[in-house]
Amino acid sequence: MDGVVHLVAPDRPIPSNSARPMAAPSASEQARDQVLLRVESITKQYANQAALSDVTFDIQAGEILGIIGPNGAGKTTLLEAVAGILPIDRGDVRWHGKPLPPSRRREAIFYLPDGVRPYLDQPVTRVLSFFAGVYRRSTDEISGAIESVGLTPVLRKRVYALSKGYGRRLMLTLGLLTPQLLLLMDEPFDGFDLRQTREIVSLLRAEVAKGRTFVLAIHQLADAERVCDRFILLVDGRVRGIGTLSDLRSRTGISSGSLEDVFLALT
Amino acid sequence: MFFLRLPETFRVQNAPMRPLLVKELWEILSGRALWTMLLLMCPLIGYSFSQAASLYGEASVTGRQSPVLASSLSPLDGVLVPTLGAFYVAVTLLFPFVAIRVLGQEKESGALRLLVQLPYRSSSLIAAKLAAVLAAWVLSSIPAISALVIWAMQGGHLSAPETLNLLFGHLLYGLLVGAIALFSASVSESAATAAIVTLAFTIGSWVLDFTVAGQPGLLAWIARLSLTQVLRTFEQGLLSAGLVVGIGAAMFGFAALANVWLPPGVQLRDKVIRSIVWVLVVALALGLATQIRLTFDATEDRRNSFPPADQHLLASLAQPLVVTVNLAPEDPRYADLQRNVLAKLERAMPDVSIRLASGRQSQAAAAGEDRYGEVEYTYDARSDVSRSTSPREILPMLYGLAGVSPPAPAPGSDYPGYPLVAGRQVALLWFFAGLPLCIALAWWWSRRLPKPLPARS
Repeated sequence: MDGVVHLVAPDRPIPSNSARPMAAPSASEQARDQVLLRVESITKQYANQAALSDVTFDIQAGEILGIIGPNGAGKTTLLEAVAGILPIDRGDVRWHGKPLPPSRRREAIFYLPDGVRPYLDQPVTRVLSFFAGVYRRSTDEISGAIESVGLTPVLRKRVYALSKGYGRRLMLTLGLLTPQLLLLMDEPFDGFDLRQTREIVSLLRAEVAKGRTFVLAIHQLADAERVCDRFILLVDGRVRGIGTLSDLRSRTGISSGSLEDVFLALT
Repeated sequence: MFFLRLPETFRVQNAPMRPLLVKELWEILSGRALWTMLLLMCPLIGYSFSQAASLYGEASVTGRQSPVLASSLSPLDGVLVPTLGAFYVAVTLLFPFVAIRVLGQEKESGALRLLVQLPYRSSSLIAAKLAAVLAAWVLSSIPAISALVIWAMQGGHLSAPETLNLLFGHLLYGLLVGAIALFSASVSESAATAAIVTLAFTIGSWVLDFTVAGQPGLLAWIARLSLTQVLRTFEQGLLSAGLVVGIGAAMFGFAALANVWLPPGVQLRDKVIRSIVWVLVVALALGLATQIRLTFDATEDRRNSFPPADQHLLASLAQPLVVTVNLAPEDPRYADLQRNVLAKLERAMPDVSIRLASGRQSQAAAAGEDRYGEVEYTYDARSDVSRSTSPREILPMLYGLAGVSPPAPAPGSDYPGYPLVAGRQVALLWFFAGLPLCIALAWWWSRRLPKPLPARS
């Protein structure tokens, strides 16, 4: 027992770039329909303004769940509340049906916030070494994570000197070095062009195939449609719809509309 | 399957501390604040040292001609205290910016939101940051330590107990400032606000010291809260267990408060309640610390103690001694009496009670009374009165009250004094050229890029 990993087996492999067939049966598919995390009636108010109102949803094991909504909808607030780093007024989070208090969320969940450039004065290598050291990652695991995210060209740069895209890749690499089963990511595709977004989508899919679960807050609906299995439509801190694209289509009666069309119809 | 484990199996366990400590150390080394402070310290400490050594040298010229004058030449007062006084100024004004960085930077960049998700208790995070503050203080002390090394290389005398005691006092003061800075950073949203809060403590202490020290009554009590008072006892060559415990309790209190305010996911109400509990706990600890009277005189000239034979005899007087002082607290005679007699008696005798007959009355109000200036000593139901502030008169009187014979003075126990005329050139060259160059090189070394991560096997 290495004394570090809490929810995940210590020998859990770090994903590599080796592509797996997307359609192959995977642990994630077997695990689907099992509720990994249940968010119940989360309510958060800032002064007199409701940031989240009675938000309830389930996260299935091995899925990519997209929280979509316009700016100011409460996506970031919701992720931070679920991660346990923002105090809430009311609500509950359950892990496999059992309460998971905020102080223990980090055992199951890791949250990658938007707009964070950790340790600006440090070279990228040192930041990665820190996270790898904390989680006792092997050299192969570190190299695998770096290669899969495409961070190699900037390893010796300082964090403040990274472009927006590489800053995002650094955060993603840190996320991959963590062992938590559930990764929450705020605007993970911000700063990526179309080709880069597709690379990252493939990477997330490969992670899902290995049993990880993702919740992504995305305001670009095209990106969300490309990567997510299910969606939560959030507007003004309220859930306006939950389900797969086809669920949402049938709810709105739009038989072949895009996520954009569905979103507009539901909001 | 690993991802279907039940929550019962989840356990918070300690992650290795080494990566965290290494990260904190690099954060300190990578910032400009530490190196800028070190560069600013060079001329500040260098000038203080060369001035102190120069004045000491001038006094030594006459001291060499007279053993009596020489015996008054102590490097502790002449060189160590003024040199480390400059270090104290730097720690008060500049060190907060270095200490704040260990947390403030992470708060500003958002990295704290990552840090609090790592498998460390928040107390471990605070402990690692305090360790970084300690490392920063050790680096910051290099100019001051180098001044002492130069002094010793020039033939200057350093008494190990009094030097180490003084350095220990500065260490405690530095860590206390660091703990305040850490607490300030934990409650402030930005490093700038944290700096203002910390400087309010440190500079506020100066203001307290300058404006209300020596005042009677409540003001005198308030003046004792000044951080500046922390060092005064060590500068007198005393190691006070009560003071050390008190500073430790205050440091612990600020660290505990930082620990309360660090986690972002806790309700404000809960943080306030926990803070109040900690404040009460620390207040209790500080109260208990004031009851600890154990002190050690670390000075070579034993200035805080009576001669050894008197100390030994006074320690054997088991009955309570009650001293009633008819002096106002701000009267200079009271300060003399306190320093020359009362403080020494409190350390030497097992049971001494001192009370001011005038209470908190001011000097102007008390001076009109007939008995003003008298000090009454009561031992074993016998009492005597004296107006003297000198132990030469008071000790024989006490021995008379106790019915014991004064001890014979021990020969050869006089402090010889250590006169030294040292040149200034070496010190000035070191502090204005050599040391800044070394610091610049160390800064450059700290900025070098690490080796690339090893390739996959």
